[in-house]
Amino acid sequence: MAEDRKLICHRCGVELVPVKTFFNYLGHNFNTELPACPKCGEVFIPESLVRGRMTAVEQELEDK
Amino acid sequence: MAYLEDFEKLLKERCHQNEVPGCTAACPFRLNIKDIIAKLKKGRFNAAHRVFQNTVGFPAIVAAACDRPCREKCMRNAADAAVDLHALEQAMCRYATRKDPNAYNLPARAERVAVVGAGISGLACALLLCNKKYQVTVFEKSDHIGGSLRDAMDAQLFDEDVQRQFQYEKYECVLSHEVRSIEELAAFDAVYVATGAQADGLGLAASGTGAFATDVPGVFFGGSMRGRTHMQALSDGLLASRAIERYLKTGLMNQPEEEADARFAADPSRYQKKEPVLAANGRYYTEEEAVREAERCELCSCDACMRACDLMRHFDKTPRRIYEEVYVTIRPGTLSRDGTMATRLISTCNRCGVCRSVCPEHIDFGAFFEKSMEEMKKKGAMPWAFHDFWLRDMAFSNGEAACTVLPPGKTEYLFFPGCQLGASDPAYVSRTYAWLREELPGTALHLSCCGIPAQWAGEQELHKAVTDGITATWERLGRLVFILSCPTCMRSFDRYLPGIRWISLYELMAERPSAPALAACREPLAVFDACAAADHPQVRTAVRQVLQKAGIPYEEIPHEDGSLPCCSFGGHAGIAAQRYSERVIERRAAETDRPIVAYCANCRDSFASKEKEAVHILDLLFGLNAGKRPAPTVTERRKNRIRLKRELARVYLGEEPQEEETMKLYISEELKQRMSADLILESDVAEVIRRCEEEDRKLMDPQNGHFIGHKKIMNMTYWTEYLPKEDGFEVFAAYAHRMSLEAEDTKNG
Repeated sequence: MAEDRKLICHRCGVELVPVKTFFNYLGHNFNTELPACPKCGEVFIPESLVRGRMTAVEQELEDK
Repeated sequence: MAYLEDFEKLLKERCHQNEVPGCTAACPFRLNIKDIIAKLKKGRFNAAHRVFQNTVGFPAIVAAACDRPCREKCMRNAADAAVDLHALEQAMCRYATRKDPNAYNLPARAERVAVVGAGISGLACALLLCNKKYQVTVFEKSDHIGGSLRDAMDAQLFDEDVQRQFQYEKYECVLSHEVRSIEELAAFDAVYVATGAQADGLGLAASGTGAFATDVPGVFFGGSMRGRTHMQALSDGLLASRAIERYLKTGLMNQPEEEADARFAADPSRYQKKEPVLAANGRYYTEEEAVREAERCELCSCDACMRACDLMRHFDKTPRRIYEEVYVTIRPGTLSRDGTMATRLISTCNRCGVCRSVCPEHIDFGAFFEKSMEEMKKKGAMPWAFHDFWLRDMAFSNGEAACTVLPPGKTEYLFFPGCQLGASDPAYVSRTYAWLREELPGTALHLSCCGIPAQWAGEQELHKAVTDGITATWERLGRLVFILSCPTCMRSFDRYLPGIRWISLYELMAERPSAPALAACREPLAVFDACAAADHPQVRTAVRQVLQKAGIPYEEIPHEDGSLPCCSFGGHAGIAAQRYSERVIERRAAETDRPIVAYCANCRDSFASKEKEAVHILDLLFGLNAGKRPAPTVTERRKNRIRLKRELARVYLGEEPQEEETMKLYISEELKQRMSADLILESDVAEVIRRCEEEDRKLMDPQNGHFIGHKKIMNMTYWTEYLPKEDGFEVFAAYAHRMSLEAEDTKNG
C-alpha cells in the first residue's frame, strides 16, 4: 500500500493532515508525525510503517 | 536471587568448557597449544613462535629436547594419530623470522638473587628474573653452563639459544664455584637452588607452605634435584622465578602450586579422519606441511552443550558468556539504565533439557533460564509481547474451549489431551476418546491446558492458579488416573502436579490388542521424539511398539549423545526469537530425508510449517491425515478447539450447543497465512471492524472505498483494511503493533 495515500476521516469527512502523535512502549515515550483527522484525531498508521520502522523500534526497546 | 551466585559457583566448580585440553594439561609448561595451533593454521609462524618463546623461555632447546608428554593425550589418537606437536615446534623455530626475545626497558631493581646451578632450571629462573631487572648471580660448580641437559643434546644449539635469550640481559656467572652451604649466600635477598640430579641439595627440605619453598626463608629449590625431567626442571625454573618475585615483594613464600588436570574428554568419534602429514624430505616439515599438520588439530574443548544446544550453537555463546549476560541483565548494578542485554536470550530457551542431558556434569541451563525468566517477570522487565499471545491462548483453552465429560457409573481414568492436540485436529481427540470409551468404558475427559505457557512465561501465580485448577478437577472427579497424550503435559505433571497419577496414551495402546492400526504405510517414517519425552523412556518405547504393532516401518533420527532436541515450539521462543525458531525447525527437518512421525501435535505442526512431510501417530492409527497437511493457522487452531468441544457435547452430553454468531470475513489464503505468522486471529480482525462500524471510527480511501481502522485489544493494537459485503466483510490487510498510541490509552481510560 502506498504510504502517500490521501485518506479521509469517515466521521468528519475531512482529509487527514500530519499531526504529532505520541506512543508508549515498555515505559518509553516517543512521538512522530502521522496523518490524523484534524477534527477528531483519528490516526492512520500505514502497514509499511508498522512492519518496518515500528517493528525495529519495538525490538530496540525490548533489547534495551 | 542467590540462584545467580549458586549457578556461578556451579559453573566455576563443574563446567569444563574453559578447561585446558589434555595436551596442555600434560605439558610441563602448560603451553597454550590451541593458541599456537590457531596461529599456525593461518601460517603465522612468527606469532606462534612468540607464544612458544614467552611460555618456555628457551624455544630452540625445548623444540629439540622435549619428551612430548602431550602426544599420548592428544584426542586424535583415538581417531587416527596424535598431532605432531614436536615437529610443529621445530617448524616454528625454523620458519619464524623474528626470534630475538623482547628487550624489556625497565628500571633496575636493587634486590639480589643467587641462583645455584647453571643447569636449565637455574638458567630459566635467571632469565625471567633478569627480564624483571633483578640483580642475578649464577653459581656453577663446573666450568660451563648447561648442566645435564646440555650434555644430552646438541651443545651448540643449546649454547646459541641461551645466548639469544640472554642477549639483552646482564647477569653475573661464577663458574667453577661450588656453593657448599646456604650461609655463604647470606648477602642475597633470595636464592634458587637447582643443583641437578646428582647434588645433595645443600640439606634443604620443602617447607610445604608454597611452590618451591624450602624451610629456609628466601630460599627456593627445584629442577632435577627434586626428581624432575629436563623439561619439568626448565618449567620449575620459570615458575620459581615468580615465587621468588612474590617473596621479594611480599616476604611470603606461598606461591600456589600449579594444578594440571584435564577433566573433560572430547569425543573423537566425531573427528574426521585426517592422515598425519609426513615430512616429504624425511626430516622436517615445509611451511605448507606444517600448516597442514596444524589443521589436523581439533582445538578440542568440552563443548558438549555448545554442540547440542540449539541456542548456544546458534548464538555461538559459551556457558560462561550466557551466565554473564544473564547476570548483568538480572542485576544491572550501578548502570544508569538497565543493562538488559540478555532479555531476549532468556526468552529464547526452548526448555528442551538437551544441555542437561549432554553435559558431563548435568548442568541445567534450562532451569537457569526459567529462574531468570521469573526474576525478570518480578522486576517487570520482561517485555509482555514475548508471551502475550500464548497466555491468551491458554486463557482460551481454559475458558471458552474447556470442557469436561464424566460418564455415569464407575470410572477409573480421565483422558487429558492437553490444549494443542485438538487445536491441531479435533479428530485426534475425538477419535482417541471414542476408542478409550470402548476400551476402558467410563473414562472421563477433561479439555484444558496444563499451564505450561504460564511457566514458560515466568508467570508463577498464573501457573499456580492453573495447576491448582487441575488439582481441584482431579479431586472433584474422584482422583482418577490421567491418560496423557502430550509429552509436555507429561513433563508438566511430573514437575508441578506430582500427586496426580498418570499413564501415557501410547503405553495403553501398546498393551492393548485392540489398539487402532489403520495405517497403510510402506515407506519408513522417521520417529521424531518430543524433547519433553526425554524424561519418559517408557513413552518413547511404547510409541515404537504401537508403530510396530500397526506394521508401520520406521527409522530413528540419530542425535548426538542421545539428546532429544526441540522442534522449536518449546518455551514459546518463536515470538522473542523468530529467526532462531525458524532455523531450529529447519535444522530438525534437515536431520532426516524421511517423512516424520511425531507424537506431539506441536512437533507435527512445526514440521508442517516448514513444508516437511509429517504425520501425528494418531493420523496413522485412525487413518486421519496424510503427511502433507499444512499447519493450521492460529485461527484454525481456535476454531478446531471450539469444534471439538461442540462435538463432544453433542456426542457425550446430548447437548446441541447453539452456534455462536460470528462475523463473516472474506480473507484470501495468502493473507490468512500472513496473519497466522503474525499471530493475528480472525476474531481480532472482527473486533476491529466491529469497533469501526459501531463507533464510526474509521478512515476511508476515496480511491477504492476501503475502510481502515484500528483497535487496541489487551496490549496489542490491531489494524485492518476492509470493505463491507452483503453478508460480511472482505479483508484486505491486517497488521498489529506492540507500542500503544497514547491517545488510545487515554480514551480507553
